[in-house]
Amino acid sequence: MGSVTGNFTSESALHPAARAVFLDAIDRGWADPAKIHDSSRALDHLLHESKAIFSERLGVDQLMLSFLGEPNLGHFLAISGLTLAQPAPQIFFPTTSRQEVLEVMGSHPGSTALAVDLDGSYSIPVASHDDLLILPTVNGETGSISPDPSSFKGRIFVDATASPLQPLPENWSVALWDSRSWSGPAGLGILAIRDSGRWINPLPHLDHRSVPGTFNPALAIASAVALDGFVKDCATSEVRTGHFNKLIRRFVTDEIGDVDIASPESARAEFLSFSFLYVDALQLVEKMNRRGFSIDSGSACTSANLEPSHVLAAMGRLTHGNVRIRLHSDVVESEIHRLLAALKECVEELRDGK
Amino acid sequence: MTHVDALGKRCPLPIIMIAKAVGTTQRGEVLTLSSDDPATWPDLQAWGRLTGKVVKQVEATHFEITA
Repeated sequence: MGSVTGNFTSESALHPAARAVFLDAIDRGWADPAKIHDSSRALDHLLHESKAIFSERLGVDQLMLSFLGEPNLGHFLAISGLTLAQPAPQIFFPTTSRQEVLEVMGSHPGSTALAVDLDGSYSIPVASHDDLLILPTVNGETGSISPDPSSFKGRIFVDATASPLQPLPENWSVALWDSRSWSGPAGLGILAIRDSGRWINPLPHLDHRSVPGTFNPALAIASAVALDGFVKDCATSEVRTGHFNKLIRRFVTDEIGDVDIASPESARAEFLSFSFLYVDALQLVEKMNRRGFSIDSGSACTSANLEPSHVLAAMGRLTHGNVRIRLHSDVVESEIHRLLAALKECVEELRDGK
Repeated sequence: MTHVDALGKRCPLPIIMIAKAVGTTQRGEVLTLSSDDPATWPDLQAWGRLTGKVVKQVEATHFEITA
């Protein structure tokens, strides 16, 4: 740790602790944990140990947890499973919800998009017992934290795929996490169903399982180790990350200028999204890459469909010239200074038409 | 009235073009902008907020800006 990586994207390499156990997990994780052979039982035991880690770190009883081989399927499973068990007269979701949620919402009549303000915040609606709220605990672009939903009387699907660090609200019904958000291996989601009597598997299924069951056990074992390490790293680096966040905000405002910072100060400090006026984000990302820095962008020119980030647009934030930075826990101050110097140089070049 | 035709231009060009045009006009003058880029309306509103300009969407691809 502490190495200079130049990586400020939302993705990150496998956590070192998970990498250290990964081959061993592959060696032990080949059997079918549902069978009765020794290898199967040993793997079943390992998976239970992994679930115990997930349970402790995510704050959920381990009997409620299922592993998903395709995390993005989880949004559909959660929402459709809840509405199949009990139709929801109204489904509320913030306009800044993930694209996967918006796609599921498109096929649900009676869904209501909740408008957000400049900080990405919104009001928790008044609801009946059967209504459903989609609550992204943390916005994956800006780091905005959802408002406290304790006043919501209906059911809540918590989309925790952007970060495992925000605690679940007390009145959650179904929750979803993505292993990638804690430097775990890709290809693993975790679905928690609080009350299995109030959720019906919406997919064709042969048995009582709530998920297809085609996850890779080795990934689950490595992911649990990654989560454990990630939470400890974040606790250690929390103050430093907050300091870096402020440093970047000050620099882009004072030293570069004409910038719209989309992440509110109340957002999680490891997330930072800001947009430079009069700058082409695609060229900016390319220029930064040539200088050894990987950054993300929500601008239209960097997206496959040439549409600007729906999150920035919903918040009323500038969508062009957008830069998204993720402050990983191993980043060091000298790297931040180099990043900022490169950003200033690149933005100035682009504004000068170079 | 100054008109800026940014049809077919991708972000951030429509905003750059309107900002340049605003720079050459008198305060309070109304400019019009044509742009079919999907980012123009959200960006024009954000630009208006950042620079203190009043912006209005007249039609899907037609906008008014008060310098």
